Amino acid sequence: MPVKQNRSEGDRADAFGFMFPILFFMSALIMVPVLGTLADSLYRDVTYLPRKFIGLENYLALANDPAFWKSLRFTFLFVAVSVPIEVCLGLCMAMVVNEAFPFRGFVRATLLIPWAVPMAVSGRVFELIFNYSYGAANFLLHVFDLSREPVNWLGSEIGAFAALVVTDAWKTTPFAAIILLAGLSSIPGELYEQAKIDRASLVQRFFRLTLPMLKPVLIVAFLFRTIQALQIFDYIYVLTGGGPGGSTTSLSLFAYNHFASGDFGYGSAASVILFLIAMSLSTFYLAGGAVRRTL
Amino acid sequence: MTHGGSLYELGLRCWLVFLLCVLSPCCEGGEPGRVVFSVGGAPNELDAWEELVKDFEKESGVSVELLRQPSDSAQQRQGLIVSLNGKLRNPDVFLMDVAWVGLFAHSEWLEPLRNIDPSPYFERVIEDVDTFRGELIALPVYMDGGLLYFRRDLLDAYEVGDFPSTWEELVSVSSKVQAKKREVEPGFYGFVWQGAQYEGLVCNFLEFAGSQGGFLFRDAQVILDTAENRRALHLMHDLIWKHGISPPNTYTEMREEQARTYFQEGQALFERNWPYAWKLHQADGSRVKGRVDIAPLPAPATGKSMSTLGGWHIGVSRFSDAKENSLKFVKYVASYEGQKKMILRLGWNPGRRDLYEDQDLLREMPFLKKLAVIFLNARSRPVIPYYTQVSDVSQRWINAVLADRVEPHKALQNAEEEIAALLERYTTK
Repeated sequence: MPVKQNRSEGDRADAFGFMFPILFFMSALIMVPVLGTLADSLYRDVTYLPRKFIGLENYLALANDPAFWKSLRFTFLFVAVSVPIEVCLGLCMAMVVNEAFPFRGFVRATLLIPWAVPMAVSGRVFELIFNYSYGAANFLLHVFDLSREPVNWLGSEIGAFAALVVTDAWKTTPFAAIILLAGLSSIPGELYEQAKIDRASLVQRFFRLTLPMLKPVLIVAFLFRTIQALQIFDYIYVLTGGGPGGSTTSLSLFAYNHFASGDFGYGSAASVILFLIAMSLSTFYLAGGAVRRTL
Repeated sequence: MTHGGSLYELGLRCWLVFLLCVLSPCCEGGEPGRVVFSVGGAPNELDAWEELVKDFEKESGVSVELLRQPSDSAQQRQGLIVSLNGKLRNPDVFLMDVAWVGLFAHSEWLEPLRNIDPSPYFERVIEDVDTFRGELIALPVYMDGGLLYFRRDLLDAYEVGDFPSTWEELVSVSSKVQAKKREVEPGFYGFVWQGAQYEGLVCNFLEFAGSQGGFLFRDAQVILDTAENRRALHLMHDLIWKHGISPPNTYTEMREEQARTYFQEGQALFERNWPYAWKLHQADGSRVKGRVDIAPLPAPATGKSMSTLGGWHIGVSRFSDAKENSLKFVKYVASYEGQKKMILRLGWNPGRRDLYEDQDLLREMPFLKKLAVIFLNARSRPVIPYYTQVSDVSQRWINAVLADRVEPHKALQNAEEEIAALLERYTTK
């Protein structure tokens, strides 16, 4: 027994030695900025004023800032609408390319293209699509004679919102599809054969077999997409600039705007809120399913 | 050597490289006395700077490094704010948009420019923008002001008289010409200007409002909800929604370049833009070449035309490790000869007033005479440290009015409240 004890302690020390580099990088690259932001949020850190500790005043000011609540509302709405769309479409895509058919490898590879395009680039592409005077969307309306006047897609709150959801869905559905495809292909084929023998219909097989088996992976897909969607910045910056009238300002754009105008404390406080929201949503998801097994 | 040994070595090397990367910002600096000059802009502008820097190096023996910045001015500001907030020794010299000078000065980032005589510059600009606590802290390199571009040929063809001097005239002339022109060109609009949610919108608003006697900031107070400002907002809103002479994408897409290309495609009668558009409108391949003219922006019958002051100012960082040489460089850039070189190459409008009478320049750019008059009356945006925040809030609410989402009165009230809350945060000791 004592010998074994010694060995396991030695193992532990070894393990720590092996993990030290990655722990070091993670703490240097993740924890330091996070803690720095947290610390900054407790200061009045405005470039032209003396730096001063003000406790939670930045947070109080946020609570009284209608623009902050608006951006929070927008961000949640964006997550609530875009993530389910992306995961559902991703599931459809995954189920299609999970079947055997000619050129399946090629189709799988092309699915990934939108995801491989940098965000700022696809943002510009969609800007060209939704442009009022020369955009492809208005061109199609004109060609098919659907509307006599061009539509100002980004001009109304709902239009700008929808345009952002469409852009985001185009870009990230493949991401959800890839995660779900991995989950689908790990479901043993025998289960389906068994189900067929038991005369389970296609719909029954989907709801009774595929979905439950896929649950942990679905949760991972939802988790990743939610965290990314919470941080939505690039498309908004390129497509709407937060407009019209500030209606599409996400929380990260809100924080960025304050950084950019020299108020680091207020911007940090908004970032901390965003961080806390992402944290609690992740915890919620992880608690909601037996994810630990798959992770 | 064993396989494991070489792997170990590789790991060690990576580790060293990483350490170097992490630690290098702590020992930045480089050659002593070398001036690092941060400047952004279009490629041709950067080339012109490169050439000017070479001339200066030859003349003075001081070496200058050009730090190229993105052409987007918000990104340039962000980059400078981060370096200066971190008190970095570089860049030593940089260009600032006129709208940031207040923030930079109040942050005490700017070294006073001693032994420079500002008398050859526009007095109002030096006083309003470049003087801080009694000292000269920056110099204008390049001037800008809002102008009205108009299609001389269309005014003549439809016999609607000369360019409009009041907003009412602009609306009536636009409606007339637009109605007739649309028979052949369905996408034609009377008046294009900058209405998207960005800094340019505030510049436009100050012109609409300023000509009505309105303002953004007076006696150290932000007062927005005034009768004049409401009138200005109603006018801006109605140009799009009531008179229909400004396109619906005015408040979503119209920035300088969108307005310029719209006008240059021959799709608009009037355009509000900065002087840079002149050269492009008159270039080969432009559909409006030889048909354009410029005038001061309109005003109400009882008001006075107003132009928002724009432009770029040069300054020296207080954290610079080469102040002596930096000052030499600034003097050179701001000198008569230095500015003349840049202007001849780029067609810019000089920051020095005396260059508006230079015969060589007037031969190349005869419209400088008209511009000098407009710049004399141009008004700067409020030179306050928190201008960017005031502008952000104003942009959002003005844009909401243009999007037909809020009444002008309500929007101005909301903006005023938000700004008051902001100021309170900054003034509590």
